[in-house]
Amino acid sequence: MSVVCEMAAPFIANSAVDGGEVLPLFRSHTATCLKCQARHAAMARIARELAAMGSVRVAAPTDLEWRVMSSLDGELAVSRSWSRPIAWLAAVLSMTAAVLIWKLIPRRA
Amino acid sequence: MGNPSDPGQVEKNREQELIARAQKGDRSAFAVLLREHQDEVYTLARRLVGDQHLASDVAQEALIRAWRALPKFRGDARLSTWLYRITVNTAWTHKKRAKRHQGASIDDHLELPAPVDAGHPEMAGEILELRERLRLALDRIPDAQREVVVLKDIYGWSHAEIAESMGISVTAAKVRLHRARGRLAKDLEETA
Repeated sequence: MSVVCEMAAPFIANSAVDGGEVLPLFRSHTATCLKCQARHAAMARIARELAAMGSVRVAAPTDLEWRVMSSLDGELAVSRSWSRPIAWLAAVLSMTAAVLIWKLIPRRA
Repeated sequence: MGNPSDPGQVEKNREQELIARAQKGDRSAFAVLLREHQDEVYTLARRLVGDQHLASDVAQEALIRAWRALPKFRGDARLSTWLYRITVNTAWTHKKRAKRHQGASIDDHLELPAPVDAGHPEMAGEILELRERLRLALDRIPDAQREVVVLKDIYGWSHAEIAESMGISVTAAKVRLHRARGRLAKDLEETA
């Protein structure tokens, strides 16, 4: 395989997948190089197979819906708990207690 | 507005109604949308990250992100396209965190449609062999290149859409695709 074939490889691949022309710089080489022509044909087949993959769907794990909805339930529960006055009061009391304890603990000089 | 009796339009209207309800916080409407789109989201996640457990986590997080971002969904794109974008972003974040999962096969358990030339066993065999080689070749290319090939050549996204989703420039997306296709071609040739 020549250096030109190596350099032309990505352009041939692009041309085969997108259906466009090979870069003019490599066009005359590709027209006469059997190796590059074979590569073009192979890449065109690959493109068809890649496109065929697009229609394939894999079934999601059976518990995915449950996992997502449970997470949402959890989020909602947390946000709801904070919206309750009692939760706020508990939080304020805890913080006050923490500050008091911190102030009352004797410190070393 | 489309024809209201057109089945496609009826389906579109039904989905829009579900989206509108979910945007207002109706979780049962979101659950219906989730059931309809979870396979698509999971399939894309599998193709992007390979490992099925990681893909499951990515799909879960993507769908949770979708719920949170749903009030901002304006309906400019199709819901599935919007979900794909979220999945790509989520996969990107997950992969940064979970490098150890790299190298897992991208289509290990994906069943491709039966070869078109099923009437010609020799050609069908050839196609199956090509698919297997393609699957292995895709596994071998770097993640960043694989993502671009998956989005462009499997899902048919534009360079601009890929660039936006991956947070890279259009030029960078083109360069990655260019390199990825070159590597794929070379790799497949070597394994032929």
